[in-house]
Amino acid sequence: MKFVVLTKAAVPLSSAIRIDPKTGTLVREGVPLTANVWDRDAVEFALEMRDRYGGEVVAISMAPPTGILALESLIGMGVDRAILASDRAFAGADTWATAHVLAKTIEKYVPDFDLVVTGEETIDSTTAHIGAQTASWLGVPYLYYVYNAEVRGRTLIAKRFLEDEGVDEVYELKMPAVISVLRSSQIPREVKLSRKLTAREHLQIVDNSKLGLDQDCVGLRGSPTMVVGMSPAAYPPRKRIVISGAPGEVAKKVAEVLRELGVVCAVSGLQ
Amino acid sequence: MKFDVAVVGGGPAGLAAAYKLASAGFRVVVLERGREPGSKAMYGGRVYTHWLDKYLPEFRKAAIDRWVTRELVTFLTEDKAVTLETTTERGSFVTPLVSFTSWLARLSRDAGAQIVTEITVDQLARDERGRFVGVKSGSDFLRADYVIDAEGVNRLLLERAGIVERLKPETVAVGVKEVLKFESRKLLEERFGLGEEEGLAWTFAGYPTEYLPGGGFLYTYRDSVAIGVVMYLKSWDKLKTPVYDLVEKLRLHPYVAPYVRGAMLLEYGARMTPVVGINMAPPKFHYDGLLIVGDAAGFLLHTGVLIRGVDFAVASGVLAAEAIRESGDPSAEALSIYEKKLKSSFIYPQLEKFRNVDRILGDETLFRDLPIFATGVVNRYFTIDDKHRTLFEALRETSKETNVSLFKLLIYMARAVRNI
Amino acid sequence: MKYFTIEERLNANAWDVDIHKPHIVIKDPEKCRHCEKKPCTYMCPAKCYVQQGDYLVLSTEACLECGTCRVVCPHGAIEWNYPRSGMGVWYRFT
Repeated sequence: MKFVVLTKAAVPLSSAIRIDPKTGTLVREGVPLTANVWDRDAVEFALEMRDRYGGEVVAISMAPPTGILALESLIGMGVDRAILASDRAFAGADTWATAHVLAKTIEKYVPDFDLVVTGEETIDSTTAHIGAQTASWLGVPYLYYVYNAEVRGRTLIAKRFLEDEGVDEVYELKMPAVISVLRSSQIPREVKLSRKLTAREHLQIVDNSKLGLDQDCVGLRGSPTMVVGMSPAAYPPRKRIVISGAPGEVAKKVAEVLRELGVVCAVSGLQ
Repeated sequence: MKFDVAVVGGGPAGLAAAYKLASAGFRVVVLERGREPGSKAMYGGRVYTHWLDKYLPEFRKAAIDRWVTRELVTFLTEDKAVTLETTTERGSFVTPLVSFTSWLARLSRDAGAQIVTEITVDQLARDERGRFVGVKSGSDFLRADYVIDAEGVNRLLLERAGIVERLKPETVAVGVKEVLKFESRKLLEERFGLGEEEGLAWTFAGYPTEYLPGGGFLYTYRDSVAIGVVMYLKSWDKLKTPVYDLVEKLRLHPYVAPYVRGAMLLEYGARMTPVVGINMAPPKFHYDGLLIVGDAAGFLLHTGVLIRGVDFAVASGVLAAEAIRESGDPSAEALSIYEKKLKSSFIYPQLEKFRNVDRILGDETLFRDLPIFATGVVNRYFTIDDKHRTLFEALRETSKETNVSLFKLLIYMARAVRNI
Repeated sequence: MKYFTIEERLNANAWDVDIHKPHIVIKDPEKCRHCEKKPCTYMCPAKCYVQQGDYLVLSTEACLECGTCRVVCPHGAIEWNYPRSGMGVWYRFT
């Protein structure tokens, strides 16, 4: 089977971005980029399926050349090869224009893909658009919040969990398809020395002279949405709470506390 | 996975070794646990250049923020300060360690060394005869003829290999620092009275560590300053303020605050630093297939006022590279040339010379009596009330009030002058 | 001038936290319960160790990776490792 994982070279935590309190603009120096934290769940998901069913995992990202680091890291985790779509013309893209580049890169370089896997969302812009938009560019079905899947013939049987509703659902999708993986649902494997040593050999960089995309569909020009304003939010304080007692009681109290804090929603049948 | 040399740790020591070895045609791999070389790098802020000119003259092309031209030492109490100042001739520069390390990483890469990031080494690998033959990371084993341990002060690998014991509180200090960014380079220069490329290095004794062994520091980068406190672990027991609040107390001290007013917090970091130099060295610096460089070897000179780490680290890395080049084979016997080189270089003799410094520094005289006494005397001498004191009267009055014996102080000074 | 709380200071940093596997583990919490002086609560520059009622609570997510806690622990109760896969603190300006 052919798996594609989409990834973004993202800021690992939004606290790493600072807005100058005087000018209100972004402090651009020293902003580190790494593979979006939640994409590691997607990578683990795809690697685990590859290990089960055989085949290949290809990671694809649209980013400036600094995105190389993020892709090398995923190759270090076990991704077989990676493609970086990088071109000045792609700069300033919103999710729609980004998804266009990603879809076209998939069509050109992994035309026989079976499953495209994305993270739930990016940690630094949290739109969760890319999966759905890539699926619509590719014209294939899309399912989100997936935490488990198996393959029967050309059908993907995928389980997902909807937190707000507190329900577990099972879907059948015709492959090829796109899924996004529930964040923290996987335990991502470590970056391995043996993989990382040869990471660069498994990385391909393609620009628009190879992809040949319409300038009006990429970058700033291809972006129907734009950011009109930003305002910093206050940091919540760190909390430590000790809860003791019998395991069952402790679990109940933990759930209560989390609900009170608004970390999880109040649902019945929360597992 | 087979290399001529595996270097554990992409800091100044490891990268200097890698650069020299790769330049000499060795197949070198550097294993660095950070995302990029430098992303785990922390230090005070200053690099001394006298020995770098000898061992790594290329450094002059490095990202140097400022050359230290003003050197200040302040004895600081709650409400008083006495400052000694001297101008210096470009003998040290201030720059973020991240800049220096990434420059050195580029240099090594260009010379042909492979730097593999995001890799935590778990163990130095040994063969059945106990010789070091590579490193282990997770389930991976990387074979190498030579291993250079440049893992830094925590030296978990040396501990796991049974070469050293767990670090003791008496051998290390913890350095905690903030980086504060000014609105512009110009504003920083005006505040500190600096010209373009001119830098300031400022150390504080007394108040920052609550009169316990250690001290405060402030260095000027290009448009930011590094401000921090170094606290010896051995006296944690007497500390009233938790270590995480010491820097803030220094930053907000009325004598310091005006200099850093309005600056924005960029980063907060901490690391340990050896304080007893050669006293925390492993039994040997060379074993079958293994050389130890930098902080892991205790190659850092700490005199209470001055801390020199990077020049020792770089020089030891360069010497390790030379030793490997000249050794012919990785046996401990062949590699003993490394120890000879250390002894005939500045590294060993200088550390040896300052061997007793920590015992002097351990004395509360330097960190408590001296700051309190000095600030008291100077303050009295310049205070004109119904009396106009002679210097002797100021000394005597201060001694009486602070309970610091003038005689004891003089004896101490005589000892300190010889050893620090 | 305003005092920066430890949280504000830690929030200034870039982090990529390993949420699945903490790199520091307290081997024997009983030792901590009976530890009289608890130097870790004083000497950790990131305030990772906090006494909470009867318990010592460790949060590794904002660890600065200095190693001090392991050295000051009088009972050798702390199992300390570097984070893996490049995770942990990411210094950019120091």
